[in-house]
Amino acid sequence: MINLGILRSSVGWLVLALAISIVLPLVVGVFWVHVLTEILIMGLFATSFNLLFGYMGQLSFGQAAYYGVGAYTTALMITKASIPLPLCMVASVLMAGLWALIFGYFCVRLTGIYFAILTMAFGQLVFYIIFQWYSFTGGDNGIQGIPAPLLLQDAYAYYYFTLALVIAALIVMRFITNSPFGYTMRAIRDNSDRTRFIGINIRRYMLINFVIAGMFAGLAGSLWAPFNRSIAPDLANWAHSGIPVFMAVIGGPLGFFGPLVGSVVYTFLSAFVTGFTEYWPIVIGIIIIFIVLFLPGGILGTFQQKTMPVGTNYPEKKETS
Amino acid sequence: MTESQLFSQFLSGVSRGMILFFISSGLTLIFGVMNILNFAHASFWLVGAYFTWTFWKIFYSPTFGLWLSIPLAALTMAGIGWIIEVLLIRRVYNRTLSEQLLLTYALVLIIGDVIKLTWGVEDRIVARPPMVDGFVNLFGAPFPTYYIFVITLGGFVAWGLWWLLHKTKFGRTVRASVFSREMVGALGIPVHRIYTGVFALSLFTAGLAGGVQAPISSITLGMDMSIIVECFAVVVIGGFGSLTGALVGSLIVGLVYAFAILVIPKMALVLIFVVTAIVLIVRPWGLFGTPMRA
Repeated sequence: MINLGILRSSVGWLVLALAISIVLPLVVGVFWVHVLTEILIMGLFATSFNLLFGYMGQLSFGQAAYYGVGAYTTALMITKASIPLPLCMVASVLMAGLWALIFGYFCVRLTGIYFAILTMAFGQLVFYIIFQWYSFTGGDNGIQGIPAPLLLQDAYAYYYFTLALVIAALIVMRFITNSPFGYTMRAIRDNSDRTRFIGINIRRYMLINFVIAGMFAGLAGSLWAPFNRSIAPDLANWAHSGIPVFMAVIGGPLGFFGPLVGSVVYTFLSAFVTGFTEYWPIVIGIIIIFIVLFLPGGILGTFQQKTMPVGTNYPEKKETS
Repeated sequence: MTESQLFSQFLSGVSRGMILFFISSGLTLIFGVMNILNFAHASFWLVGAYFTWTFWKIFYSPTFGLWLSIPLAALTMAGIGWIIEVLLIRRVYNRTLSEQLLLTYALVLIIGDVIKLTWGVEDRIVARPPMVDGFVNLFGAPFPTYYIFVITLGGFVAWGLWWLLHKTKFGRTVRASVFSREMVGALGIPVHRIYTGVFALSLFTAGLAGGVQAPISSITLGMDMSIIVECFAVVVIGGFGSLTGALVGSLIVGLVYAFAILVIPKMALVLIFVVTAIVLIVRPWGLFGTPMRA
């Protein structure tokens, strides 16, 4: 008998996931290496979104804006000035963080449905600016032929580069969510009034969190541009903001790794289904409806409830409205 | 710029606003009564436009085809709304905001593909009946007669919804159930059926709006995705759940767009979202709304 105890320890799962993510590209074809890279980038994007959704309890429908800012910053710096990728990435993260700071300043004043719509309105603002500014961003033509650095031209090399960066980013985010700051975010999510009463400036905390989430979304976007070689304004559109929401909900927003699990499921399914039909949206739409109706905690939430020892309470999903 | 040019731009803004109002009225109705923000509302609008095209093809009459197709499409949409409320929407009334948004967003994706499967990817064109296919001269500026029809019908819809909600028993029950679902239920009124009715009514207006849209421009896939955010802007500016707000919000969005496109054409859409953001920041519940669930 296999010792099932290992399935209950998250360290075991992490080691397993790490081993798979290192070995798997060596045994699958180059197409799936691209899919795996996409899983990592979108997983990073979804995890950054979940800093707001899972930990702060606010649904942002405009995270694609910061992802788009990251992608465009990198793409423009590479194509217009041939600046080395690492520098582009730093600039992308800072630029996305700057926009998140400006927009977040207003967004954190609202909650619930107002928060969702304001983030969406700002997101559309960024989208239309990119879309209309032909002379600078290329408008709806996007930017083509974004070269990856020589060392990373190979799909495998870019995959391992992405893997290393995403793991580093996940460690930092894990560290943030497990720090006193992370617990303050949970407190704000669960009861913002009480958190205010004990003297915490909740708006400032929420703003810091918003900026952090925006910066990691920018990093994900920055990784995407040289990977995909071409980008379009759709990256910043509200429809693209829906993808990390889907991923978080599929995986389960209340665990740190939920969005990552969601990215694996979503991206893999997307690659698989689009292989034989163009009707991917209808498939994912039905899956989302199924999960909302029958698996409200997502895959990870449902799984943890089943495998957790008796007495460990998986936190109840909070009313985010 | 001459006065007549400004005036024609004003009329074009009002027309655009009226179309937005057509769509937003149903959106704000659902939000006001059921507290659900329906991402899929514009998708239903688009389905209504496609149904209008189908009926128009069936009747094959340039004179009266459209006049029959629009109400038929609206009724079909009401029927579809009835089914969707019973099958899906009903199950998420007590869920979190994010789950409700996700459910309706999933509907956007599904409807998009269903349209593709049913009507294909080609653009569909509905011709304007000769009766409303001309231009009239308004203060020296030519103005399409069709828009006069749109504005008039928009006015009737606004009045009809107001009458339904304020002057009929159905409307009074709906308004009562906004305040206290339990109390209305305790009086022996089947609240779930009221909700189904409101959802069907909202899709009826979406179908009407789609039907009216059909002869304006060709019907294309993906039209719903860009118009829904403008409708959100309308609902935000006017205030969630307020019909008056939807009317005023639509006119504001329509006029801002019409005049911004004269001055700074590239920033016209951006400006709408700037206005939306400002309203949300200063007065989150909008011009005519009341603070609801935050």
